[in-house]
Amino acid sequence: MRTVKERAELALNNEFLRKAVRFTTERLRDGKRKASEDHGNWEEWRERGRQIRLHTIAHLDYYLNRFAEQARANGAHVHFAETGAEAVKIALEIAAHKAARSVVKSKSMVSEELHINRALEEAGIEAVETDLGEYIIQLAGEAPSHIIIPAIHKNRHQIAELLSREAGEELPPETSVLAGFVRRKLREKFLSADIGMTGCNFAIAETGSIVLFENEGNARMVSTVPKTQITFMGMERIIPSWSDLEVMATLLPRSATGQKLTVYMSGITGPRRTADGDGPEEMHIIILDNGRSEQLGDPEFQELLNCIRCGACLNACPVYRHIGGHAYGGTYSGPIGAVLTPALNKNVAEWDDIASASSLCGACYEACPVKIPLHDMLVYLRRRKVEQGYGNKLETAGMKGFAAVTASSKRFHRALKAGRVVQRLVVRNGEIPARIGPLKGWNKYRVAPSLANQPFRERWDTLQHELRASAALTVTAQAAQERMKAALNRRAAKVEGREAADRTQRSAGDHAGPAFVRKEGQTYDG
Amino acid sequence: MERRNQTDTITAAAKTDIKVSMFATCIGDAVYPRIAEAMARLLARVGVRLEFPQGQTCCGQPAFNSGYWEEARRSAATLLEAFADSDFVIGPSGSCIGMIHHYPKLFEHDPVRLAMAEELKAKSYEFTQFLVQVLGITDLGAAFPHKVTYHPSCHGSRLLGIQEEPMALLQNVKGLELVPLPFAEDCCGFGGTFAVKMADISGAMVTEKADHVLETSAEVLTGLDMACLMNIAGQLRYRRQPVRVMHLAELLYEGVSGA
Amino acid sequence: MMDNEYNAWLKKKEAEARQKQEQFMNRIAGKLKRPRQQEAPAHPFRGAPTYWRELEWGLEERLARFEDNLTAAGGHVARLPDLKAAKEFITVKAQELGARYIVRQDDRLLAELGLDEALAAVGAKVSVWNGHRDEAWIARAAEADFGIVAADSAVAYTGSLVVQSAAEKGRSVSLLPTALFAIVPVERLKTRLGEVLETFDAAGREALPASIHFISGPSRSADIENDLTIGVHGPGIVFALLVG
Repeated sequence: MRTVKERAELALNNEFLRKAVRFTTERLRDGKRKASEDHGNWEEWRERGRQIRLHTIAHLDYYLNRFAEQARANGAHVHFAETGAEAVKIALEIAAHKAARSVVKSKSMVSEELHINRALEEAGIEAVETDLGEYIIQLAGEAPSHIIIPAIHKNRHQIAELLSREAGEELPPETSVLAGFVRRKLREKFLSADIGMTGCNFAIAETGSIVLFENEGNARMVSTVPKTQITFMGMERIIPSWSDLEVMATLLPRSATGQKLTVYMSGITGPRRTADGDGPEEMHIIILDNGRSEQLGDPEFQELLNCIRCGACLNACPVYRHIGGHAYGGTYSGPIGAVLTPALNKNVAEWDDIASASSLCGACYEACPVKIPLHDMLVYLRRRKVEQGYGNKLETAGMKGFAAVTASSKRFHRALKAGRVVQRLVVRNGEIPARIGPLKGWNKYRVAPSLANQPFRERWDTLQHELRASAALTVTAQAAQERMKAALNRRAAKVEGREAADRTQRSAGDHAGPAFVRKEGQTYDG
Repeated sequence: MERRNQTDTITAAAKTDIKVSMFATCIGDAVYPRIAEAMARLLARVGVRLEFPQGQTCCGQPAFNSGYWEEARRSAATLLEAFADSDFVIGPSGSCIGMIHHYPKLFEHDPVRLAMAEELKAKSYEFTQFLVQVLGITDLGAAFPHKVTYHPSCHGSRLLGIQEEPMALLQNVKGLELVPLPFAEDCCGFGGTFAVKMADISGAMVTEKADHVLETSAEVLTGLDMACLMNIAGQLRYRRQPVRVMHLAELLYEGVSGA
Repeated sequence: MMDNEYNAWLKKKEAEARQKQEQFMNRIAGKLKRPRQQEAPAHPFRGAPTYWRELEWGLEERLARFEDNLTAAGGHVARLPDLKAAKEFITVKAQELGARYIVRQDDRLLAELGLDEALAAVGAKVSVWNGHRDEAWIARAAEADFGIVAADSAVAYTGSLVVQSAAEKGRSVSLLPTALFAIVPVERLKTRLGEVLETFDAAGREALPASIHFISGPSRSADIENDLTIGVHGPGIVFALLVG
């Protein structure tokens, strides 16, 4: 499966997948809508979340450094890894020194990015995913297809089959029975594992603490029972203080699943204290770059680091709803995946076409609790590909033609005239059903319209005279003039007052220049 | 052709001959001239005489969205020039006006064009925005006794915030029964070249959209964006469904003129 | 000895990490095109919006909302006049549910309850967690039917219990047993999450325990065909006893 189109086609032909993805995303989207309305002032909170993240990223050298120092002071061992390979190496070294034979893991997108499980298995260490969905897909040998609900693409019969094989007995496709088996099975693993591996939802700079959000309790297990804990952390997953956590704890669960708070939210500050009866004796935190620092100083992509991995964009995206997560071909799926996967990879030549699989509808931006303009970023990615010479050859030729024709109104008009002549060959009843050239894809699902007999610019002369002749009521015209003058005055006042000419509530605007720096100075809170 | 600056804008407020320009859009010009015409006639009725600067071609959206910004600049330049003297630029398309909002970014490295871009952005309006926000008109005295459902195009509703304006206009049309479109906010799947490049995904999206339209049993589907309507109409035709697809300007014009 | 070897290796790793750390920070500053940020920057948007920080519910409302929220998440709430009533409540439940093994924090509040005797009377063996004493505590918690804690605080807005770890307060007590019983003196019930979180900022790094847990219901998952299942890894039964 190399191209997005091929993977998407597979997904589009999978009825169960489409139904499952549709059902799940609708449920989660509904949940988010209710939870955000229930909380109220959602836009204010989104902006707050955005400002906190922008601020942290803009001062990441301070906060990340502070976090590392404080974490060390707590007794944790802090490691830095520039690449995924480095992070894996460090983790394997720790495991080797601990003579570890088994590892239990809680949900961590970063660990998926690292393919740590494969590395552990190759080193002869058993690595068990303990989140129910992750456990299921681990047994299936597959990648997660949704950031929050990884096994969304599996039906209960498939799951029963996988678990039955593991159980060595036939398990019925009943949720409670299947979950019961997993609880018992993984209990054994938790209690006997040498190392617990976690991700990190947020790292609190001020106290060197890490915060984990979950519903099952497996992250707590993994960070309580085994003697050694390894926590993987993207270098950008920082917030300054516990107070800031209130904002994130309000935005994240509501955006992800519609919950007020996940069942468990745990703040871990270093390994166990001497007299504690549980908790890891040793805690390692591996901080990963892997392309993240590349976004810093880039006005088009720095905001990407705001992401809190809630999955709201997946649930809002109509494309995701139809093709599911695997079609994105990487660790991260949905709109965030479509941007993150190329962005983390400096080598444009290696980018696949995933950024093209979007109609740029902006639903992702609207859903994002920290207001990342993913829809704009997709266009920037497309532009970078073209700029560096990796645009599709046919499309490039087409665009050059488009530019040539539309660069001059005379040429445009001539093209319209020529088009009308040519289309006579294929027009039927004012429509073009033929599936040739670029119309092939279009007409697979639609009938294309034909060019009008007379384009607007040719009609204008006559129309213009008609409109002049028709008596426009003086009173009406006067009223209109007054309203327009008022609008012009308002516009002039804006220009004078140097306010951004932004007429809309939620305009994405454009981030010309270092927008993040500009917003820093704005007072937001009353 | 003079370059407008702050002083010009302030002076304009004192003018008596306010220049209101029609932005027909390339699809409007080439495929749906009746929509631009309906808009022109409606505005004439409320006392606004449009003029049409012939130099305009296309906003450049197809090239811009696909990452071909050099090419997009060539089309966009025609709009910058054509509307340089306009006080208001009105277009029957949320996405095309939305594209104009991208012009400052598109021309960020060209100081002269950047200034023109900022100005054009400030004076461009989608049709219902102009009617409601500038002219303060929500009732055109139209009558249209049909069952109608409304599709809010993504760029217009999400990125320009146009939500209340079309609702206000529709609610004042006599005899019109407005039925809500299920999952109205979901994209119709057009996305410009997306519909051609990712034809199957786009096809899945427009099929779903058409399903929702048919669920309403509406006689008429209306909206603010010709591209979306062309897309959904194309699928409805393909399925031989008799739902009439009309741009809101067409609907309102038919409602006032009986034409 | 293995230990010394290992410690030497850890020291080596730390030296490497510190070097890498400098590289990381320098790279960040370089990319942001400015010198290294050494001082804490002004953070004008710290915490929740002002209007939110002013939210404070009266006791009755806190109690009612806490109950609504925890119940909606599948937990159970009982309002009890005093600790004696709490003891009776737990004892009755122990009998009802046939609890044989119970683990509790070594908390003064719980000791005052006289709980251990009452539970023994209905056939349950109580282990009192205390890390100062040598015992297979995790095993005790794993085999327990009930885990009993005194919540350090609670949050009405989210329906959450807050438990902090300590030598006498094992994390496992609220995690491994099948059912969790949390006694919450009503004066510990706050309105907002931020009220509790602020105290951690105020306390400072050194005063923080190894772990702090916000518990907002029984363990759950919807990973199998969106079908909700309760009690996946953590306790499937959660009782919050609001006392006072």
